[in-house]
Amino acid sequence: MILEEEILPYFQWLWSGSASSIGALPRFLLIALGLSFLGLVLGFFVAAARHGFLRGGDIVYRTITNGVRELLETSPRRVWALARLAMQEAWRRRVIVALVVFFIILVFASWFLRTDHQDPAKLYISFVLTATTYLVLGIALLLSAFSLPADFKNKTIYTIVTKPVRAGEIVMGRTLGFTLVGTILLLIMGVCSYIFVIRSLDHTHEVEIGSLKKVQNAAGEFIGQDGRTSRNNYHRHEVELNAEGEGIALNNYGHTHPIVKRGDRSVVLGAEGIMRARVPRWGKLTFIDRQGVPKQRGISVGSEWTYRSFVDGNTQATAIWTFDDISSALNYDNGEVSGLPIGLIVRVFRTHKGTIGKGITGSIQVRNPETGLASEVIPFTALDAKIDERIIPRKLRGTDDKEYDLYKNFVSSNGELEIRVQCLEGGQYFGFAQPDMYLRLPDASPLLNWIKVYASIWVQMVIVIAIGVTASTLLSGPVAMLFTVSFIVLGFFRPFFVGVAMGTEYGGGPVESFYRLITQKNIIVKLDEGFTTTLIQGVDMVFKSLMLTMAQVLPDFAALSTVAFAALGFDVPADKVFQDLTICLAYVIGLSILGYFLLRTREVAR
Amino acid sequence: MSDEIVIQTRALGKVYRDFWGRQKVRALKPLDLEIRRGEVFGLLGPNGSGKTTTIKLILGLLFPTEGEALVFNKRATDVSKNERLGYLPEESYLYRFLNAEETLDFYARLFDMPAETRKKRVDELIKMVGLDKARKRQLQEYSKGMTRRIGLAQALINDPELILLDEPTSGLDPIGTREMKDMILRLKEEGKTVVMCSHLLADVQDVCDRIAILHQGELKELGRVDTLLTVADVTQIRARNLSAECQNELRDVIARHHGELIEMDNPSTTLEELFLSIVRDSEARPGRRANVEQSTSA
Repeated sequence: MILEEEILPYFQWLWSGSASSIGALPRFLLIALGLSFLGLVLGFFVAAARHGFLRGGDIVYRTITNGVRELLETSPRRVWALARLAMQEAWRRRVIVALVVFFIILVFASWFLRTDHQDPAKLYISFVLTATTYLVLGIALLLSAFSLPADFKNKTIYTIVTKPVRAGEIVMGRTLGFTLVGTILLLIMGVCSYIFVIRSLDHTHEVEIGSLKKVQNAAGEFIGQDGRTSRNNYHRHEVELNAEGEGIALNNYGHTHPIVKRGDRSVVLGAEGIMRARVPRWGKLTFIDRQGVPKQRGISVGSEWTYRSFVDGNTQATAIWTFDDISSALNYDNGEVSGLPIGLIVRVFRTHKGTIGKGITGSIQVRNPETGLASEVIPFTALDAKIDERIIPRKLRGTDDKEYDLYKNFVSSNGELEIRVQCLEGGQYFGFAQPDMYLRLPDASPLLNWIKVYASIWVQMVIVIAIGVTASTLLSGPVAMLFTVSFIVLGFFRPFFVGVAMGTEYGGGPVESFYRLITQKNIIVKLDEGFTTTLIQGVDMVFKSLMLTMAQVLPDFAALSTVAFAALGFDVPADKVFQDLTICLAYVIGLSILGYFLLRTREVAR
Repeated sequence: MSDEIVIQTRALGKVYRDFWGRQKVRALKPLDLEIRRGEVFGLLGPNGSGKTTTIKLILGLLFPTEGEALVFNKRATDVSKNERLGYLPEESYLYRFLNAEETLDFYARLFDMPAETRKKRVDELIKMVGLDKARKRQLQEYSKGMTRRIGLAQALINDPELILLDEPTSGLDPIGTREMKDMILRLKEEGKTVVMCSHLLADVQDVCDRIAILHQGELKELGRVDTLLTVADVTQIRARNLSAECQNELRDVIARHHGELIEMDNPSTTLEELFLSIVRDSEARPGRRANVEQSTSA
């Protein structure tokens, strides 16, 4: 699970934010205040240029006071009437075609999606959810950007604005109407895609009788059989059966199968665990470098993507996760194994091949941060970039070879526990980011997780609708669409956009980048000092300021997407869902107010 | 502004500009106008004279370049004035995918009417404009005349005090035109104020109490229709069953008093009257050739 931004608890996110950013609400208010001031000044200058200073001032004053009054006079019945009209219009514009396209995609998807993929669930889920996202965003874009301009073009707006309809009600009505249409589409798509994924990935096997071998205990008594299943859907499983012939087809391709006895046959049932919603609890990651000095990050192995940093093998370099609120309540016990369930993702970086056919080995060690008591190391073989789910045994030996209880002896008095990971092979490296180790809480419902992912698609759709409707209050249909598309595209690449604006990306601003392009200079080469470079960088300063201002209101679509959570089998945290819904509400409120003023100051009959 | 004055314009003017703010055309030169409660007021003028611009400025669909328009003592841009007015645009700009009932229900909702009142009002209006049998048909299936009728119904949905009609008879057949004019007179009888603009002089003459004549965006004449149309130095006598001798005597009398006889003739009816008589007769006696000689020669 890649999580570049830490998911803060909702209220912390809303009020105070993280160490490097302010809370969402103060940020929203600051931006709203800044934009209002900018709008006021701009509005005054435009009005003053057209009607003179006094009348211009009067117009701006009246527009604002009327705006506040009309906001208070908003009628839900009128908004609902306009929303119903928008829904009828969407229906007339054959919005149902989107569903037909969706079904065609589902019908033919099985032809192209490889079921021999190591993680077919990831492939299917990410495909279906990504297709839904783009389809719904496309429909939202077309509906919202062309609706009001069509009203202007057909002059049907004349019969609306000559009724006691407030401009804000027109904007809200459209947004609500299209949102409802999109919600219905999403509901249908959500149900169909869930059934599609479940049905496509469901399969069974047969126990290969010839492969079964008897297993005896130390006393020579028959206790069961080991064997394998038949090969179906490009894979097979190892089988463990008890003396009664019941058991399990062991985990392979991300799932297991229960085996039951029917008559004299052992029957393999449907797959379990194809869709999961792991609930992780993340800790804080710090490092120790090869000389044993504590560091905030590990070393770089030259990757441009700095998400993970690395520890070098066979040195003192260690990745240390500190978890808090550890208690025996987290213990997993199925009678055979008892301990703390964890998930570990290791990114392996090799400087040499190592032993062919063998993974790189590492070690896990738990430590009490208060007493310094450390367990003996638990060796493991890294599954590169895959989730290694394991249980740290409750009974552990310490470095003094005495047996200790995990919760009693390795957890500090304030509930903290350290888990340390090292790479044991010289010349090889393990790369980690903070979310790469987590404590595994009991899985959540995959169906509920599916709903949460659709909620995040819904949030993106509503934001696109709000942008489209607002743009269409001022612009013609195609221009409003282009504007909204630009917003979406920039929104998907927001971190890069902000990076360019802040000067942290290579290659400079837009002008410098263009200059490098035409002079065939790569992004690293330093430009010759002189007037041209000074001029280019001066103009870029202006562009960068504008970009930085724009970035403040640019929705981060990539961060809003939770497709990766479902695809990788992680539960979408409730905090994230509430944060996304709040962001959506902020956009709808802000854009509705902007749309109101744009529509109110527009000559309808022009 | 007294309560008796429903619309007032003060030096209301409009200049259309291009994107760069350069003047393209002066659509309306400063216009001072007062329209009183209960009158039928006509804005008359050739195409491009500024009639529709004036209506749009009064409705707040356009913003004035100079001056201001007040409706019910409120600025034209104040949305709350719309509670008391109805507007029929030049073309009935309605949602063609809705049927008559849905259309009127939609506009009634915009007036925040409760469901019960809305249902009653929609039913009344559909019957009033004679679309009872077509109430469930989508507007895209309507003829021009039917579209105008539903357009009028939406303008009356809130039982307005002031009705603005932009070219109300445009595109209507003679029967539709007559019905529209009768409707305007009925609204006047109900005490409503009607403002209409048209370039069809006969229509304006038939229904308007006062008119303003605009040309090239400028007010050229304003006053009561009967006063403006009275020719002071000409006397008109209309009589029935006069013999030839009597007519000759009348000629002599006029000559004796040094008057100039301009015309003494059997008058002809208007084509509108003839057409309406034929239709009425045809409806009364379907399948037979019309017999309107007596009525038209009378």
